[in-house]
Amino acid sequence: MALDYEVPQDKRLLYWLGDKLIDYRHPVSVVVLVVTAVFAYWGFQLHLVTSFGDLLPQDHPYVRIHNKYSGTFGGANNINIMLEVKDGTIFTPKTLNKIWDMTVALDKVYGVNHNQIDSIAHRTVRYLKVAAGGTMRAQPVMLQKVTSDEEAGAIRRYVHNAENIYGLLVSLDDKAALIRANFIEGRLDYQRIFTEVNENIVTPFQDDNTVVAVAGEPRLYGWVYHYSGDVFFILVITYCLEWVLRWMYFHDWRGALRPTITGLIAAFWGLGFIHLIGLALDPLMLVMPFLITARAVSHAIQMHDRYYEEFEKSGWHKRRAIVASFAELFVPTLSGITADAFGVLVILLVPVVMLQKLAITASWWILAITISEMLLNPIVYYYLKAPEPELVLLRERGAFRKGIERFVGGLLTPVGKGITVVAWLSATVVAFYFLRGLSIGDPTSASPLLWLDSPYNVSHKEIQDKFGGVEPLIVVAEGYDKDAMKDPGALRNMERFQRHLERDPSIGYSFSLADIIRAVNMVFHELEPKWGVIPDNWVDIGGLFFIYFSGSPPTETAKYVDPSYTTAHVTFFAKDHKGENIRRMIKECKDFIVGTEIDDLGVVVATQDGHTVITGVKPEPIWEKAGPSWVVGSVPSSESPFKAGDRILTVGKQEITDAGSFRIALMEQANRSSFIDFTVDRGGQSVTTTVSAPWKAVFKLAGGLIGTLAAANEELTRNDVLMNVLGFSTMYLIMLFTYRSFAAGLYLLAPLALSNIMVNGYMAANDIGVNIHTLPLVTVGLGFGIDYGLYIVSRTIEEIRVRGDLEESVREALVTSGKAVTFTAVTMVISTVFWTTSHIRFNAEMGLLLAIWMAISYVGSQTLTPVLIVLFKPRFILKEAHRVPTLTSMGAPREAGAS
Amino acid sequence: MTLGLWNSVAIVLGFSFFVIFLDEYIVKPRRHKKWERLAASGDKEAQELLKLARSAKVMDE
Repeated sequence: MALDYEVPQDKRLLYWLGDKLIDYRHPVSVVVLVVTAVFAYWGFQLHLVTSFGDLLPQDHPYVRIHNKYSGTFGGANNINIMLEVKDGTIFTPKTLNKIWDMTVALDKVYGVNHNQIDSIAHRTVRYLKVAAGGTMRAQPVMLQKVTSDEEAGAIRRYVHNAENIYGLLVSLDDKAALIRANFIEGRLDYQRIFTEVNENIVTPFQDDNTVVAVAGEPRLYGWVYHYSGDVFFILVITYCLEWVLRWMYFHDWRGALRPTITGLIAAFWGLGFIHLIGLALDPLMLVMPFLITARAVSHAIQMHDRYYEEFEKSGWHKRRAIVASFAELFVPTLSGITADAFGVLVILLVPVVMLQKLAITASWWILAITISEMLLNPIVYYYLKAPEPELVLLRERGAFRKGIERFVGGLLTPVGKGITVVAWLSATVVAFYFLRGLSIGDPTSASPLLWLDSPYNVSHKEIQDKFGGVEPLIVVAEGYDKDAMKDPGALRNMERFQRHLERDPSIGYSFSLADIIRAVNMVFHELEPKWGVIPDNWVDIGGLFFIYFSGSPPTETAKYVDPSYTTAHVTFFAKDHKGENIRRMIKECKDFIVGTEIDDLGVVVATQDGHTVITGVKPEPIWEKAGPSWVVGSVPSSESPFKAGDRILTVGKQEITDAGSFRIALMEQANRSSFIDFTVDRGGQSVTTTVSAPWKAVFKLAGGLIGTLAAANEELTRNDVLMNVLGFSTMYLIMLFTYRSFAAGLYLLAPLALSNIMVNGYMAANDIGVNIHTLPLVTVGLGFGIDYGLYIVSRTIEEIRVRGDLEESVREALVTSGKAVTFTAVTMVISTVFWTTSHIRFNAEMGLLLAIWMAISYVGSQTLTPVLIVLFKPRFILKEAHRVPTLTSMGAPREAGAS
Repeated sequence: MTLGLWNSVAIVLGFSFFVIFLDEYIVKPRRHKKWERLAASGDKEAQELLKLARSAKVMDE
């Protein structure tokens, strides 16, 4: 049937499109269903996978260092297993044999790096044994299982005399032993590791006197996977609850079914697309698909509500009602979907592969709502039987409608408007107060992914309490040439670095090659403590290294130093990974590294009148000219590449503007080359000098869990504000095109901005940090708030064309579209809140956070937006007053006349 | 019972059909009877509603 009735001329194309969709319902349905079936098939192929590499900003310098050395010096994927005895010590044959068996079992777990296992029962952990004739050799602490108390006593002696074991792998009270293993990143299978550790390492060795605690990133993700089945329980509960709520609201099962179809089709398209582009589902991102599906359902509820309204208006003509609801809601629905999709797309800015993949898939998924909601919607209604007029009339007279009418009546009184403005301003001020505490990174020392009393966090705390710190921060000491690690200066710098950073309260202990050389030197001198120092020449150091490492294959020694002695590492074991603590530790590392380099150059640098000036030159080192460069010499001379009063202009090619830029430039230049170019202003003349660095090795940040988290946090800090600005700008632009008004965006985005502040304030007050997992959810929440306002503003414009009065139009918009918005918001908030029942604390908190976000956005769209419109009377709405749309029957337009 | 993908699908499908059955065969007839009873007892709103509903000519094509 053609459009043989009159429709508004400005929307005639949309009416025509809706009508044609019904005419061509069979081919359109077949195409959509076939494509949906293909996507559904792909969707069912999806697996839960977390790719550790995808969580890291791969171009960040820290991650590059981490990737380069994680295979030898240790990565971020460590498992820490602590065996603790309640009575006695671990130095009994029974307990030592348990440690032996657990170590053997750990060596067999899938993906373990066999050369990076630390345990007193592993071949790589050695002590120095002085043999007959005064020879020494490094021997594994345990060569085999223990058979007698005497052997156990001997092992206790070895441990107590080894600085690299006592306190690190055996607790100072002899009650606990730590077994640490690193996993190869490309072979991380969290579920398999979790199962194998449980079955082969934890369960068989626990008894009344023995406690086994396991922590570390692979274990943490193992627990997350273990709990990921929660999602089915939550989905079933929310599905059933939403069905009942929609059924009660529409008084008809069709009202419950239709939004389900929209949600399902969008979900199949989204999940299939994720598989199509080669991605997998992350168990920590399961809230996201849920949220997008909820949005699809939300748009469908708006459409269904409007369909009922148009059904009555059209004189119970089903086809006209379908076409009218499609055409009238086309603009706000499309704008809302577009704003959501492009709002999420700004996450692409963060150079973290997982977030970029998520931005693409979430945008696609949201855009797929247009297929189910707009393309298929008129067809589905056409196939379904028309609702009975009785129930359409009934719901217009229901208690829900009456309640909304009463609320709107109160809101639009002068007192109501005043209360609204004052309440929003007060809430914003309070939120601003709390907002100051918002942190980038994790705000607690326990893992925020699981609850504080979860088995993982309990184990993590037990290990931290016993051993001080288990989360590694690896700083690589990279030499310019081979044998650099035999340089006494390089080793002393490592030792000083350890002592410097150990003052930080978050550092438990540290370990480096310098510890080995001191211990070996002491053993070599009959354990006299005064010999526990770093020798002052290369020959002695080389000799001691030979003694210690000569009996070990390179695969074992590589975890301390590479075979050419060019590169080693200083590993700090941190007590927690709080965002602020990581920032402080990294800053202290940088301060030490640059401070040492400036000291080694023999200059004193200060800022004078905004310039970076050399204020003093020390007598050491002694410089001499060697060709075009300055090198450290031995013959005393008054010559130096630096003079007091020199104003530093450039280091390398980097211009120096202040002390901060000088420090960064010096560190970067030293990392790049052993020759450093300085350009200084000396008495008005520009002088360029090339200096050969007086150090043999540079410290490079940073590997391990702390290093990679620092990189992720730095990227988030750099992009957080930018993402917010771009997210709001994108939505503003869409509003600009939708309403062809510069002011429209302000009215719609103002409540959203305030909601944003309040939600961030809530996050800060509840110790929820912005991290790689929370960021995408927070950004999605930002986009979702706009939808509610769009329906209200669009309806107000529709109404003012007929009514002419702004306040009356706003009132009608609130009791019609606002009613559906209210119902949508209530159902979404209720269903999202169910996530709080999840064992995964992250999902629970994100569910609650998003529920709060949607609630605040909804309240904003129902109170602040209409009150602002009534108070400020925006032109983009007022100009539509009495502009009753011209009616046309698709052929001969005519004026409908003003009403 | 641990919920997996397929038993979850079975539960939600079963629940949906249950609601449809409940609506079509129990709730709607009862609701209709209730309004007819109210109208018969002199309730103005119920009378008006039923009058409107009966006069409505649905074009379901």
